[in-house]
Amino acid sequence: MQEVNVQSTQADKVAIISCAGMDKALGSVARACALKVVERLRPNETVLICIPPLVAGVKPYSELIKKHPAILIDGCAERCATKIAAKNGAKIKGRIFIPQSVQIHNLKPNTASDIGPEGEKLADKIAEEIALQIDKLVGKRAKNG
Amino acid sequence: MTLATGKVGIICCSGEDLPEGTISRIATRLVLEKLRPDETVTLCLPLFLAGGEDERAFARVFPTIAVDGCSKKCAEMGTRKFSGKPVATIVVSEVMKKYPQLKARSREKLNTEEMELAMKVAEEIAAKVDQVLCKK
Repeated sequence: MQEVNVQSTQADKVAIISCAGMDKALGSVARACALKVVERLRPNETVLICIPPLVAGVKPYSELIKKHPAILIDGCAERCATKIAAKNGAKIKGRIFIPQSVQIHNLKPNTASDIGPEGEKLADKIAEEIALQIDKLVGKRAKNG
Repeated sequence: MTLATGKVGIICCSGEDLPEGTISRIATRLVLEKLRPDETVTLCLPLFLAGGEDERAFARVFPTIAVDGCSKKCAEMGTRKFSGKPVATIVVSEVMKKYPQLKARSREKLNTEEMELAMKVAEEIAAKVDQVLCKK
């Protein structure tokens, strides 16, 4: 995981916070990664924090973000997920920066509406990386996904 | 309310927590790319909420339409708080009541039925855009 200082904890769940930016393909990849993790790879070990209600102060998001260690997924250099999470008291344990992942994996998503096969593959790879970090944070052995 | 300006900003919640958030996202993209590409721009809600001054300035000057997935109306609330009241708000869960045969179940990829629902929402957004721009 990038830019991360992941520390093992005995947390029961990890909060996933993704930018889901509207106007860039990388925002769509960020959103896809988050959903792959919380719906398929680690549904019992994660809570998804929806950014708009978090900023609006809606419960339970405003409480969950303070309770669980968080992994953030930013789609662009604005790093909105990071800014918003920090402002709302998140315990940040990991960060993914999608533009960097694009370079690492050499996979380029198509468009914001349709990330295409390479975008899906990229989202799968990042989601698997996140899942492994979740296992560390919840004190479990890495699963095969 | 109608304003004679050239562009309308669409701010959608894109919420990840509910299938309706995904519908709001896809419907907004349909408007931007297919239905009203020349009359609309999208404002990125996370950037808007995180303090993006360009996004906020646009929403102060140009009319905006909020597209919310659910009754929490986060896009409308955020826009009102940081820039000004949107000229209209479309709530996906409200639109869905008109089409009870169409269900939203997936937060990831939309099936044919969900895409049909997204197009219904997109058509409502496009109609509001026309109204705001005094086109129809």
